[in-house]
Amino acid sequence: MKQKTELTDLEVGPAVSGPPTDPDILLEVRGLRTYFHVMDGTVKAVDGVDFSLRRGETLGIVGESGCGKSVTALTIMQLLDIPPGEIAGGEVWFDGRDLLELRPEELRHVRGADISMIFQEPMTSLNPVFTIGNQISEAIILHQHVGKKEAMVRAIESLKAVGISAPERRVKQYPHEMSGGIRQRVMIAMALSCNPKLIIADEPTTALDVTIQAQILELIKKIQADSGAALLLITHDLAVVAETVQNVAVMYAGRVVESGPVEDVLLRPQHPYTLGLLGSIPALHKRGRELDVIKGVVPNPFRMPPGCKFEPRCPYAWDKCKQVEPDLVAVPGRAALSRCFLHLPDESTRRAEFDRVSVATVATGMS
Amino acid sequence: MIRYIMRRLLGAIPTLFFISILIYGFVLLSPGGPTARFSMNPKITPQALAAFEHRWGLDQPVPVQYCRWLGVCNPDGQGLGVFLSSSGMPNFLPGIVGGGSNGVLHLDLGVSSSSGVPVSDVIAERFPRTLVLAGVSLVVWLTLALIFGVVSAVKRYSKIDSAITVFNYVAYSFPTFWLGLLLIVIFAATLGWLPAGGMWDVRNTPIFGSGAYWSYLGQHPVSALGDLGRHLILPVATLVAVSVAGDSRFVRASMIDAMRQDFVRTARAKGVPERGVVFRHALRNALLPVVTNIGLELPFLFTGAIATETVFSWPGMGAQFITSIGQYDYPVVMGISVITAVLVVGANLLADIVYAIVDPRISYG
Repeated sequence: MKQKTELTDLEVGPAVSGPPTDPDILLEVRGLRTYFHVMDGTVKAVDGVDFSLRRGETLGIVGESGCGKSVTALTIMQLLDIPPGEIAGGEVWFDGRDLLELRPEELRHVRGADISMIFQEPMTSLNPVFTIGNQISEAIILHQHVGKKEAMVRAIESLKAVGISAPERRVKQYPHEMSGGIRQRVMIAMALSCNPKLIIADEPTTALDVTIQAQILELIKKIQADSGAALLLITHDLAVVAETVQNVAVMYAGRVVESGPVEDVLLRPQHPYTLGLLGSIPALHKRGRELDVIKGVVPNPFRMPPGCKFEPRCPYAWDKCKQVEPDLVAVPGRAALSRCFLHLPDESTRRAEFDRVSVATVATGMS
Repeated sequence: MIRYIMRRLLGAIPTLFFISILIYGFVLLSPGGPTARFSMNPKITPQALAAFEHRWGLDQPVPVQYCRWLGVCNPDGQGLGVFLSSSGMPNFLPGIVGGGSNGVLHLDLGVSSSSGVPVSDVIAERFPRTLVLAGVSLVVWLTLALIFGVVSAVKRYSKIDSAITVFNYVAYSFPTFWLGLLLIVIFAATLGWLPAGGMWDVRNTPIFGSGAYWSYLGQHPVSALGDLGRHLILPVATLVAVSVAGDSRFVRASMIDAMRQDFVRTARAKGVPERGVVFRHALRNALLPVVTNIGLELPFLFTGAIATETVFSWPGMGAQFITSIGQYDYPVVMGISVITAVLVVGANLLADIVYAIVDPRISYG
């Protein structure tokens, strides 16, 4: 592996390997790297992502466009086009097996059966030439080894479970005969149909009308609670995260920069990037003022800063941040992990300034 | 669905009417004329020529000639009576309800001016032979185009994709008549593997379409079909080369596009085997534009057959068309043109109907 040397240089390679010791951990992603080899060079879309998810737990991955959150989800399911994509390293432990080591045939039995996925675009994610009953029952026939009739009965049940009225009539309809909200319900019914252990929802409400978004979110929460499946929710919407999940991982430039219980991360952000995200939420009392934004732009994927990837935009950065990339470390006294030098014991002065801003930002944001 | 088909059928009537005017007009404009074949004959007097023209109705005004040819006018009628049949009903109606019996509308395409045989008999003899060539070509064409296109798309940028691509560009750039000659030179003249032309081996096989042929086919199906097959290989290869090349590129592009769609990713996420992803989810969608394209290309089977049948002396409609042009046999030329026009319109109609069946988003309303 030619990335090996690079990997040690960056000092972010996973220290441990092998299945997670705690059997309660359903999904553990370690040092995941997904690169895209394009004409101008290599884009390291995901470059060392670590997180884990317990059975029945809900985890949100949040970050702005291009931070690698969707690619992370697609890498777990291995739904990327390879080439140009390449899974350059890492481990994805799911229920005692490393998904990256599975043969295609074994992986196929995991997809749709143990892990199912809800996509962003309900308008294009359903096949236009098949009835929705046909499309839902396809997975049921594949994974539960039942006949067509029985599969259709179960498809009708799962449509009922996602609150679609007259499911017996709906199964005979084609996607174009339905609204975006109904189609997303169909996608959820499809995801639900084989009783998966993990549901990955990739921006499930982004393409929907705002009035429908809340309904779909409620539905996802409800089916997650009812089915006991774990949920990996990918979104750029902090409000969605706050309402839906227990834990959250914030991603920036292909890495997790902060993770922890949702109330810790959103109320007591430990990473300057998370703080910036929270500060940029528009609020009613800020009306008439210019919106607060994170200064600068996401780094060019071909010219990543050598040290901390957020350093060029970070108001707290100092010399060290330009040279060395920080690790994802436990924040003293908190349940969260953060990828920032501010949490090192000898940076207490800088840390005090950060905490002051942090408290002020969260306070104004909440009011 | 039935209403949709009926509506499309009714919509084809004005199209065919317009085509009939075009066919008549082009034949009228072409140099020569039905009397041109007598111009070198010193025994034909101007009086005889005038009598010929009168007998064939060529001394009538052009609209009347067209009207009689179409079958709306009754050639025996006088004044406004020309529009009425001998039984007093409008002439364009079918014969059983009291209409006339002459003209294209009543399937009377006239009489061949060179052989004296009714044009419908000429076509009835020739058409099945062209149909054999076109039918086999259609099957070979669609099969190869789909296989090449899907394989190219699924194994994109592989060696096999490159090989198919090279074949496509080479085959696409061959002119049909020249490719035919080339194949004859290689496989018939030089290697001697296949017959250079014709539809059956005249030494031991009766004329195709005759009663003797059918009984021969019944008694010796293997040798009869084997003989037909051997004669089919080169003309079919010539006829379909360009279409296979063009359409496999088309299928490839359409298939690559379909494989990129979100619903293909959904199918993979459901755990559908790769086979199902390609053939059930992607191909079904990739075929939608292909169906339209094939509908537009179907007529090529008949127009392309003109050159191919001539090169391979295939005794079908296309070869007859060329022969009849050489003989100034206007009724046959026009008859074949009309039949071809009906086939073309029919093929497009069929493509529309197939499209409506395969794409549930098309409304029949």
